[in-house]
Amino acid sequence: MLAYVIRRLAYGVLVVFGVLFFLFVLFFWVATPDDIARRALGEKAPPEAIEQWKVNHGYDRPLWPWESFEDNMLFSHYRSMLTLDFGRSDADDVPIMEKIVKGAGPSLALTVPLFAMGLVVSVMLSLIVAVFRETYVDRMGVVLCVFGMSVSILLYIVGAQFLIAKLLRWFPISGFDSSPEVVVRFLALPIMVGLMSSIGSNVRFYRTVFLEEVHRDFVRTARAKGCGEARIMVRHVLRNAMIPILTQIVIAIPFLFTGSLVLESFFGIPGLGALTVEAIQGNDFATLRTMVFVGSVLFVVAQVLTDLSYSLVDPRVRLE
Amino acid sequence: MIHVGWQQSPVRAFLTLVSLVASAVWLGCSNNPYPDADDELKVLYTVYVEAPRTLDPAVSYTVGAHKIIGAICETLLEYHYLKRPYELIPGLAVAIPEPVSLEDGRVSYTFELREGVSFQDDPSFALSAAERGGEKMTRLVVAGDYLFELMRIADPRVNSPVMHTFSKIDGFRAFTAKLMSMREDPAFAALPVHEQYRRAGPIKGLIARGDFSFELILSESYPQILYWFAMPFSTAVPWEAVEYYDGEQGRPRFADHPVGSGPYRMTHYDKQFRIVLERDPNWYGLQHPEWKAPGTIYPENPVYGGAAGESLVGQTLAFIDRIEFRREKETVPRFNKFLQGYYDKSGINKESFDTVIQGNKLSPAMAAKGIKLDRVVDLAISYIGFNQEDAVVGRAAGQQGKKLRQAMSLAIDSEEYIEIFLNGRGQPAQSILPPGLYGYDPDYKNAYREVDIPRARSLLIEAGYPSGIDPKTQQPLKLRFDTSATSAAGLIPIRYLVDSWRKIGLNVEVVSTTYNKFQEKIDNKAHQIFQWGWVADYPDPENFLFLLISGMADNKGPNHANYRNPEFDALFDEMTARSDDTVRAEIIQKMLDLLEEERVWIELLNSESYVLYHEWISQYKRPGFEFSTIKYQNIDPKLRAQRRRANNQPIMWPAYLLVLIVLAILAPGVVSMIRERQ
Repeated sequence: MLAYVIRRLAYGVLVVFGVLFFLFVLFFWVATPDDIARRALGEKAPPEAIEQWKVNHGYDRPLWPWESFEDNMLFSHYRSMLTLDFGRSDADDVPIMEKIVKGAGPSLALTVPLFAMGLVVSVMLSLIVAVFRETYVDRMGVVLCVFGMSVSILLYIVGAQFLIAKLLRWFPISGFDSSPEVVVRFLALPIMVGLMSSIGSNVRFYRTVFLEEVHRDFVRTARAKGCGEARIMVRHVLRNAMIPILTQIVIAIPFLFTGSLVLESFFGIPGLGALTVEAIQGNDFATLRTMVFVGSVLFVVAQVLTDLSYSLVDPRVRLE
Repeated sequence: MIHVGWQQSPVRAFLTLVSLVASAVWLGCSNNPYPDADDELKVLYTVYVEAPRTLDPAVSYTVGAHKIIGAICETLLEYHYLKRPYELIPGLAVAIPEPVSLEDGRVSYTFELREGVSFQDDPSFALSAAERGGEKMTRLVVAGDYLFELMRIADPRVNSPVMHTFSKIDGFRAFTAKLMSMREDPAFAALPVHEQYRRAGPIKGLIARGDFSFELILSESYPQILYWFAMPFSTAVPWEAVEYYDGEQGRPRFADHPVGSGPYRMTHYDKQFRIVLERDPNWYGLQHPEWKAPGTIYPENPVYGGAAGESLVGQTLAFIDRIEFRREKETVPRFNKFLQGYYDKSGINKESFDTVIQGNKLSPAMAAKGIKLDRVVDLAISYIGFNQEDAVVGRAAGQQGKKLRQAMSLAIDSEEYIEIFLNGRGQPAQSILPPGLYGYDPDYKNAYREVDIPRARSLLIEAGYPSGIDPKTQQPLKLRFDTSATSAAGLIPIRYLVDSWRKIGLNVEVVSTTYNKFQEKIDNKAHQIFQWGWVADYPDPENFLFLLISGMADNKGPNHANYRNPEFDALFDEMTARSDDTVRAEIIQKMLDLLEEERVWIELLNSESYVLYHEWISQYKRPGFEFSTIKYQNIDPKLRAQRRRANNQPIMWPAYLLVLIVLAILAPGVVSMIRERQ
């Protein structure tokens, strides 16, 4: 088990190193520091200002180790990323770590409740649909799920903003305020939209998993012993369907930190998702490569955690 | 440990959870995006789409940034809020300085500052508290603060976009050169910036006359320099703030934390989300109401019949306590929040234009909501330019090129263009000068700015291109319209222009590239026909006519048509050096006549801004170019709260109906399942 974990982590480190090299080529070699400086300062910026900007951002050194082994941008890129010293934004010179810390709160305020509620609601609805299997409730549920999956999240957003926020006036159309007295108002609508857009695929997936379990021998045995339907579903079916559920959960958890790009952008929530979109739109390469790096690290961690969690819920799984 | 009830039935558990969440949401159910406690405060709620890249007064040159900086930083001169044409009034200066001619054509202005004006409270002033032996949070504004800011503009590292304009100050460029050469010494480069300036300076044409006066000497006559002292570039900047706000140890950069002496100070700055300005108790208007300084009291209203009553005249500014800039990237939510009363002012998005404006007026539905419309023709021009260095459409083609340009000008219908693409928000331009400027004549009709297809065709024949055929090749003449528009929507207006020329037989190809490539073409003078625009920095014809002088061609400035005409340049120099009088008006008319004949540009339109605002906003008058007017505006928060409450009651019956529908769907299933299981 320990050897497996170490091996998986070593693979993960290699993947992260590869991602870092790819990022370097993309952000320093394809787009040169001069290009980045001009985008930040304007096309007509004088050479002195361009040079000064490059010095301020540490972009004034040779790119490759064979140009200068002691002081080159490749090593410095690896060093800064691996020590989490992300430097400053190309767009506004604000330390990127400061932006990440500032954006993490709003992102988590949106994604954690959305994830928790989505999980509970999806599992429960799937169980209900599985309980009513082969009845019109089940069939209607499947139709609604397919319908829900087919509709773009953008339509949900526009529809919810128009119907719930504008016509019915239940919640603000967009915006964010972390003050305790108003924060629920701002999060209610994006969470609703997030639930609506994800619930279809989740319910369909969990329903399939539960139905597979429902027809197994141990369920028949439990029923023969006189167990109630609800007890069978929760105690036996749900417990035995944990591996696919866990796979979805554990992979999703690390990405709660990176926020939701679409929801944050459309609802004006200043989280990490919106930060990434801003970085793309504003040619903020430093922030963008940091977010890509953070995303890749989180993905690697999620993969390892997923594998480990299998052995926790299923004693038959041996990691070697 | 899970409660037993949760194990009994997933249906029951699910319904319990839904009920709990619904109850929690119910309690917070309101569409008010602001804390209830703010409902009756004098807070102005406005929006921004993109945060300004910088709020450094020496650098920022965008409308969005000037809206913020203009409220934080006081300038020596200002504009009269109500008078049109625009008129300069003293701001922090005691009076508007008069030019004094010196030898060698130099001109001097002496600015007298008001004494007893303080900066906003800021921790950076602790840096100089010891040498002043006093206050740690603020200090008086002195002449040195203005000189320091002008030196910052001369510093290439600051990258000020107005360096060229201020280089008319005697010794300005010499200071720049000296500063750069001294910076080659690492020991000097390591010194604080204000110390570097002290050692490299002073600038010959900037002479401090004590703490509250300084002399400005220009190397040539340039009366328009006064307008630049009504812009944030030349505001007083304390060296302490520049040194203190270095972006280190958690401190913001000075570009994100301007410190000034204006009526408002920044109390919250989160670029991605919210910017807050609050009225500054140190502001000289509040500290010294007895002065009745022109920039601190509500002005008399000579002409404008707006909402301002006579009782307001002489009242001390500023009326609004707090300004909340909220970030709204999407147009539809932004406009809907305005309609709900959560933003006080708004532009009109394309999607809603027809419901808001009917017959060039506010629709009855909008008027019934108490919404008002403010229309202003911007001091701006949009034009189609011809690269004068091009062998076909430029001056290089001589008479043939000129006739071709004249023909093309006669084919463009500005009115139709404005109607189709701007919802009628604009007026056809007859000359380079927009309405509201000295030299603009409303009765002037440009002979080539009316649609006249037969005349255009005959001019094409005179140009040697009958029906658009090039006699050299016997093929249709091929022209290029270079544009940085790449989206389908962005190209539609360009295609309209090209189709207009097709009517006279001209074949113009649209060459669409990225902005950078387009810029490259302009730099290399590889462009032929292009579209561009200009918005005034200040209300003087010089600020438009300079767009076509030789000195601004060859990528030295915004003369992208590369027009060079010694006669025009000589007239420009003569016009620039004069104040507004009949001779100046005659010179301007001569210049306009030249441009009318030459057709360097096809003057397309002067855009018109429509701003909607709610009935609780008073004393609102928007200028046609950017200068800060926030201190003159007022809000009735009680009326706003009342209207918001009346218009934003949640409609709950659909929620009850939804619950009933869900129950109705589930009930038969539950019943049938119970029967089956039994």
